[in-house]
Amino acid sequence: MLSKRFSEKKGVKGGLLFLAILMLALLVAACGAGNDNGSQSIDPAQTETTEPTDASDSTEQDQAEQDSAADDAEGGEEGYAPPTANVTLRGAGASFPHPLFMSMFYDYNQQYPNIIVDYESTGSGGGQRALKEGTVDFAASDAYMTEEDMAEVPNGGVIHIPITIGTVAIIYNLEGIDTGLKLTQETLSKIYLGEITRWNDPLLVADNPDLDLPDQAITVVHRSDSSGTTSIFTDYLSKVSPEWAEKVGSGTAVDWPTGIGGNKNDGVAAQVAQTPGSIGYVEFAFAVENNLTYAQLRNKDGYFVFPSLEAASLAAADAAANMPEDTRVSLVEKGGKDSYGIVGTSWLLLYKEYPDPDKKAAIQHLVSWMYREGQKHAEPLHYAPIPEEIAQINDRNLAKIK
Amino acid sequence: MKEKMEAVAEQKIAIDLYKNGQNRKVMEPLFRWTSLVFAGLIVLSLAAMILVMVVESWPSITTFGIRFIWDTAWNPVTLEFGALPYIYGTVVSSIIAILVATPISIGCALFLTEMAPSWIRAPIGFLIELLAAIPSILFGLWGLFVFMPFVREYIQVPLNQFFGFIPLFAGEPRGLGMLSAGLLLAIMIIPIITALARDVISAVPSLQKEGALALGATKWEVMRKVILPYSRVGILGAVMLGLGRALGETMAVIMIIGNRPEINLSLLEPGQSMAGVIATQFNESIHSLHVSALIEIGLLLFLVTFLLNVIARFLIWKVSGGKNGVRVVQ
Amino acid sequence: MAKDMLVQDLKAWYGTQQILKNINLKIEKNSVTAIIGPSGCGKSTFIRCLNRMHEVTPGARVEGKVWFDGINLYDPDVDPVQIRKRVGMVFQKPNPFPTMSIFENVAAGLRLNGFKDKKRIPEIVERSLRMAALWDEVKDRLHESGMSLSGGQQQRLCIARSLAVEPEILLMDEPASALDPIATGHIEELIVELKDKVTIAIVTHNMQQAARIADYTAFFLHGELVEYNQTEKIFTSPDDKRTEDYLSGRFG
Ligand SMILES: Nc1ncnc2c1ncn2[C@@H]1O[C@H](COP(=O)(O)OP(=O)(O)OP(=O)(O)O)[C@@H](O)[C@H]1O
Ligand SMILES: [Mg+2]
Repeated sequence: MLSKRFSEKKGVKGGLLFLAILMLALLVAACGAGNDNGSQSIDPAQTETTEPTDASDSTEQDQAEQDSAADDAEGGEEGYAPPTANVTLRGAGASFPHPLFMSMFYDYNQQYPNIIVDYESTGSGGGQRALKEGTVDFAASDAYMTEEDMAEVPNGGVIHIPITIGTVAIIYNLEGIDTGLKLTQETLSKIYLGEITRWNDPLLVADNPDLDLPDQAITVVHRSDSSGTTSIFTDYLSKVSPEWAEKVGSGTAVDWPTGIGGNKNDGVAAQVAQTPGSIGYVEFAFAVENNLTYAQLRNKDGYFVFPSLEAASLAAADAAANMPEDTRVSLVEKGGKDSYGIVGTSWLLLYKEYPDPDKKAAIQHLVSWMYREGQKHAEPLHYAPIPEEIAQINDRNLAKIK
Repeated sequence: MKEKMEAVAEQKIAIDLYKNGQNRKVMEPLFRWTSLVFAGLIVLSLAAMILVMVVESWPSITTFGIRFIWDTAWNPVTLEFGALPYIYGTVVSSIIAILVATPISIGCALFLTEMAPSWIRAPIGFLIELLAAIPSILFGLWGLFVFMPFVREYIQVPLNQFFGFIPLFAGEPRGLGMLSAGLLLAIMIIPIITALARDVISAVPSLQKEGALALGATKWEVMRKVILPYSRVGILGAVMLGLGRALGETMAVIMIIGNRPEINLSLLEPGQSMAGVIATQFNESIHSLHVSALIEIGLLLFLVTFLLNVIARFLIWKVSGGKNGVRVVQ
Repeated sequence: MAKDMLVQDLKAWYGTQQILKNINLKIEKNSVTAIIGPSGCGKSTFIRCLNRMHEVTPGARVEGKVWFDGINLYDPDVDPVQIRKRVGMVFQKPNPFPTMSIFENVAAGLRLNGFKDKKRIPEIVERSLRMAALWDEVKDRLHESGMSLSGGQQQRLCIARSLAVEPEILLMDEPASALDPIATGHIEELIVELKDKVTIAIVTHNMQQAARIADYTAFFLHGELVEYNQTEKIFTSPDDKRTEDYLSGRFG
């Protein structure tokens, strides 16, 4: 009798859901307005001072790089011809490049309407699993595959194609300190190891002579979900701190020594915003789009730099110099005066063999388009473009597909 | 004349029987078989689900064995996995929720059925059903942006100040944590328990209430001595449904519990729930043993829910004390 | 201690519908008063006004006075809870508390009224069950559920439950209507015995029953008290034509 009553009323409930959402929204707004604690919300104005120089710089320079890359491509390299038949390519994997892929695939489909690309953002792990099961034509992952996993890939094995560069920004919530926090490899790793627990720790004070750091507990926030961002971030910490490498290590999820977890970028950002004295890490694009306050980080050459697309591409270019042919290498903590430390690659994972010649042609054409012409979509969406040095490695790898 | 009437009557009965007989031949087996098939489908899909989960979690089961249940490590890098912190997080946050939500819900239900002026019963009842239908992600957002700071300033800080010497309330009042998660869950399940308890309570016959009133019972005594005992089985059922939702709740808990797989005596410290770790780590986890361990957590969640249901059944059976209890359930 | 009750200008409503119109009558102490009349004429409503039970129904309203032991039940200062302790009620359908044992059912009123002397409770329970002529049937199963009794036993249990708090007046609304002739007989005997200790007002549809047990009879029709007199007088030579028609089965 009870259940009947309930099911009968469902329709009404569903219809009035909207009303409830509205009420909740009002409640949130009302409470937000009542809360005048400055550090509770991240004010867009706060971060403005940190940005302008970087932003304008990177825009110009990246544009230049883009143009030259595009010229190269049009300058007629080997150039794959798209198939004439109708082809549908199915892909799955990392969620980080998903928005970039959507933009790229839309543009691509406008130009080559006979090729439809269907990408499902299931996460890097989901992508790798799908590739191993052979249920997709390509996958995307924020971490490269282990030897062990690679051995399980059918169709002749896997080819890694770097497709975009991910950057991780360190965000924080300190009352009265809207910009200018400087972190070093040492302080950041010690904070995440739980060894630096207060903001007025002498190590932090020494790096930030201009700031009045409060005597306040540091609340460390990390991703609670498995993510490429965590993979890049812990890769960085492992690289710069032997202690981290030994105690924690790197991966899409790790056993955090301290701190609280937020779900996805927005979960971390929200918990940082809601917890005074907290520090967290998010994708750079997310930090920019949401006007979050992020820190400067000392790079390998000793300069404090803000994360930026330009700084990320510089790190990638530096890495390309001695990159192995299979591109399975970490990009963190690369040299260069302006390069930024917490940077990682997002890969496309392809099979070495595509029995269907149309599919093979489509994959080769699409992928080479993606890391050349398609890169023009990166910057507006705050993704760092692939530098030409890596694009050339990709050319060689793509040619191996049978 | 009399004989004729009897004959007509007999004939009529015969016709009725005949009609019934036809019904019995066709409709009844049809109904019996279709309902059997549907019942079978339920059992089958449950069995299939368990089977798939066991198969998928087999690598983890064989690697860690039974100690998976009480191991506290969760290290996707070194591939050591144990479920205890998650079991703890789920069970403790749900218990907090139930302890807080049950008295409030019963109070609300009693108010709505017995005390509120009749003109506000319908609108309030409607609002409660509305609340019960709000998706949990909205509760989570509200919890994070509005409720959590409130809990920190007005519940955690005072608790910590005055009862900080009790390990339960020691530590840093951060807002996020087990207590906030439990309280948010309580808010989420209050509407469900209230709505169900209200239906159960309003089904108490007025003859029962008047029986007590006629003996000189006050309104309060009627509620305590007649209404609650009469409807306790149904109320327990309502509480179990609420507990079920609390145990399985995922998104709202993720947003407020702090997501730290640790067993901490203090309710101010963060924890993590079973559903939470599955939802957050499943997609991007790369190593197959990690995935397998997550599925085993799912299996354990299933088990925990099952166990709690068994305990509840037992409670109901005890409380109803045999056959008259059955009568009370209707 | 039995008391009498004087009803003056009693009017009762359910919502806007007036059910009772100006009832005046006196219920004599240590007697049995039967209330008779066709279905829907307001008999139940009437006796529910005598222990302020009518107002429990949402939207129900009463006007007029009911004098009992020197107080007007409808005086604003009067607490209905206190009244109901002294004016007991037995309902048409037996309603023992299903979650309580036979013993606890009878003791329920005592416990509700905060009866102090705990040691005397078993004694009072036994006495009440004896008065309700149920003791011999249940003395060996006092701790079984009240629901385990037959319908007639349940009704006597409810009578025992009312008697345990020693009411001064006992209102009964068709207490035997759901029972077989033998159980009805038990209850009728019981009522006659009880009137030494308590004043009884009983609603009944059974004319023979009224004739057998009642000292006074009140005939209601369409919410009005048509005739009230000694039972013998009502049944042999009623003053009102309508009473005569009703008793001779011409309507109702
Ligand atoms: N809860 C109620 N709400 C509205 N009207 C009611 C309610 N209870 C009774 N009535 C109305 O009041 C009138 C008198 O009802 P009452 O129960 O007093 O009759 P009664 O004489 O006891 O009849 P019966 O012999 O069938 O028990 C009837 O017309 C009935 O419809
Ligand atoms: Mg009646």
